This record gives sequence, C-alpha cells and structure tokens, in this order.
Amino acid sequence: MIGLQQPLSGTVETELAPAQIGILFQDDALLPWKTARDNVALGLTFHGVERGKALAEAEAWLERLNLAGFGDRFPRHLSGGQRKRVALAQVLAMRPKLILMDEPFASLDAIVGARVVRDVVALVEREGISVLLVTHDLEEALSLSDEVYLLSQGPRAHITQHYQVPIPRPRDPVLSRTHPAFAPLYERLWADLSREVDHRVEAA
Amino acid sequence: MTLRDPRHAWMRQLAAFAILLAVWEAASRAGLLNPLYVPSPGKVAAVLVDLFADGGIWPHLDATFTAALGGLALGIAVGVVLGVIAALVPFIAELLEPVMSVLNAIPRVVLAPLFVIWLGIGLASKIALSFILVAVLIFFTVFTGIRQVDRKLVERVITLGGDRWALVRHVYLPSVAAWVLGNLKIAVGFAFTGACVGEFVAATRGLGYLLSFAQSTFNAALMFALILLILVVVLLIFGIAGRLEKYLLRWN
Repeated sequence: MIGLQQPLSGTVETELAPAQIGILFQDDALLPWKTARDNVALGLTFHGVERGKALAEAEAWLERLNLAGFGDRFPRHLSGGQRKRVALAQVLAMRPKLILMDEPFASLDAIVGARVVRDVVALVEREGISVLLVTHDLEEALSLSDEVYLLSQGPRAHITQHYQVPIPRPRDPVLSRTHPAFAPLYERLWADLSREVDHRVEAA
Repeated sequence: MTLRDPRHAWMRQLAAFAILLAVWEAASRAGLLNPLYVPSPGKVAAVLVDLFADGGIWPHLDATFTAALGGLALGIAVGVVLGVIAALVPFIAELLEPVMSVLNAIPRVVLAPLFVIWLGIGLASKIALSFILVAVLIFFTVFTGIRQVDRKLVERVITLGGDRWALVRHVYLPSVAAWVLGNLKIAVGFAFTGACVGEFVAATRGLGYLLSFAQSTFNAALMFALILLILVVVLLIFGIAGRLEKYLLRWN
C-alpha cells in the first residue's frame, strides 16, 4: 500500500499522499548511528522542515511518549519498549492520517507491550488517526479494532470474514477485554480461524 | 591498591618490562651478550638520542610519514569509491572483484620492485606500495559492507519519505564509515608496512632506508633504535585512530 512492493494484481485506491501514511514495523528499524531525537526528526527533515524546528518537534513527541530526557541516547542504549516508542514517535511526528502496523507489539514482553499499546491507543484516538493493524493475536485484534478482517492462510491470502467490534471509544485496551461483546466475538473469531487452519491442514 | 587489582595490569606489565631491560643491561655489561648482535639497552638509547640530537632523523621520519599517510589517505579514498561503485553497479563488480581478489591473495609487497621501476626510487613508489596495501583492504571492507546494509533501515528511510540522496547520506555513508573506521588500525599498520618496505627496496631517505643502511653496515644498535622508533610512531597513530574510532562509533 505504501509502494514498497507493487501489487500482483488490482490497484490500491487512496486519497492519501504517501507522506500521510506511516508504517510501524515489527522491528523498530531505527538508525543506530542517530540519537533518538535525530531518528524522530528524520522524516520531518525529509519533508523540508528546517532542522532546528524538526528537532524541537521531535523532542515534543518524545515527551508525549514518556521519553523525556532520552533524546540524546542512541538506540543501542534504549530498552526494547523505549525503542518501540521512539519508532512510534518517528511515525507520529509525520502527522499521518493512516498508520500501517505489522505486528508492532510482538517483540515486546507482556507488561511493556501493554503499556506501549495503551499509549498508542490514547494517542491514535486523540489525534484521529486510522490504523491498519496486522496481527496474529486475536485478543489484540478485538480489543484494539473497530473492524476485524480475517485473512486466509497465504500464499494468495484473501479476506474470508469481517467482524464489527461494538466496544465504545475511548477504549482501555485491557479493560475492553471485559466488555460483554468481547467474549462472543472472540469465540466466533477463534472458531472461524480454526476452521481456516484445519482446512489447510487437510489440504496438505 | 593491591598487586592483584586487574585495573593495575599496566603497572605489572611496566614492572616486568623494566626488569627485562635491567637483566638485559646487566647481561650486556657482564659480557654475556655479543654487542655485535644484541646491543645493550643503554647503547640503543644512546643511538636514539643521537639520531634526534643532530637532527639527522627528521628527513627520514618526514619521508616515511609522508609516504605512509599519503598512501593511507589515497588508499582509503580509492578503496571507498571503488567499493561503493562495485557494490551498487553489478557490471563493475564483475570486472573489479577478480582483480581485487588476486591482489588480496598475493602478498602485495612483492609489487615493491615493480613500483621502483615504474615510479623511480623517490616518494612516489613508496606511496604506491602503501596505497595498494590499504586500497585492497578498504575495497573489500566497503564492498562486502554495503551489500550487508540492513534492508530494514533502507525501507525505513524510504517510508519516511527519504530520496536516493537521503539513503546515501543517512544509511550508506554512516555504514561505510563504520566499517572503514573498524579497519582503520589495520589500514594504518598496512600503510607503514608499505612505506618501510618500499624504502627498504630502494630509496634515499626514510626509516626503511636507514634500516637497510644499518643492515649493510652491520649496525645492530641502529637497527634496534629504528625498530623502537617505528614501534612508538605506529603505536602513537594507533592511539589517535583508536580515539577517533571510539568517538565516531560511540553509538555502537
């Protein structure tokens, strides 16, 4: 969707310019030779923001993500959760309308992950950013999303199911798991996914 | 402070060295060592002091330094440029890699006499030898380095809106700098090897030339003094290179 790979068939329709789409990868992929602040400012300077201003803005984003005082650190000297936050600040600083996330929280341990997720949800809800999240974690999918699409197993993955998640916003990603709508949806999603996987096992 | 404190290893090393020198000096004075082969430390020191006292050493130091540093600078510059081009243009890599592999496989100092024929016994032949030693090393460092640049970093910069120039500036150049700096000490060693061997083969000036002069006159004391001098000079540059590496690679 962002243009790193060309679609094999079909087209991508969007009103958004590439600059309005941010990507959060599974790995944080920060430039190891740049400080946290320089990493966050990078995208801004690519789009013509003057360096001093970009750095100030980067600092503000770091503060918003609870990383005040870590701006001068190199990625190597940050923990996994901190690096994830820096990567997030890097994306958010671009003020995207849409963020694509590919299992961004998979590499974090449970508690750190939960905190980062909570902060991401809060920021995304406040800034009105859309998120397209790819995940293997059913609970993550349901607790964070408004809509869930189930993809068949690849290659040639395609959408097989679509679910609406009626949990109101603003959400707390942990508490929303106790919402009455959560359990039945989880059951359905799990059943459909199991069938999908069984299917494949039989075919093989 | 205790004798076993690991932080004071340098003190123990220094003490051991002092004892070795003392034993050596004592053995020389007792007539146990033939001064023709192994001169006493005191004699070596005296020769060294003489070299500096009459100022005769400076043109030689100057020649060796110029050759080594000239070869180092040229070697790094050409090695980086060729390495980058070869890594980015497969056609060039096809042509360059076999040549570089051959140059890498042979002991490159065998080219010294050839350079003397081509470039004369002056500075140029020494710079050339120093250059070829360094350039091949740096070429392979950069060439293999660039091909191992983290794909994820490249994609990251592209998705943030970076163009080709941004990729070069923020991803490729820092990577290349890291690999070159990681090999800087080896390159410095190679550069001085090239300069000294070049002077050894045919020259009118330089530490290598003085060494070959000491050999032809069977002057062991001068040889020891020169070896010591080269050792100190190279260690000094190693120190500078180490500092530079530590500062520029502080993110690592």
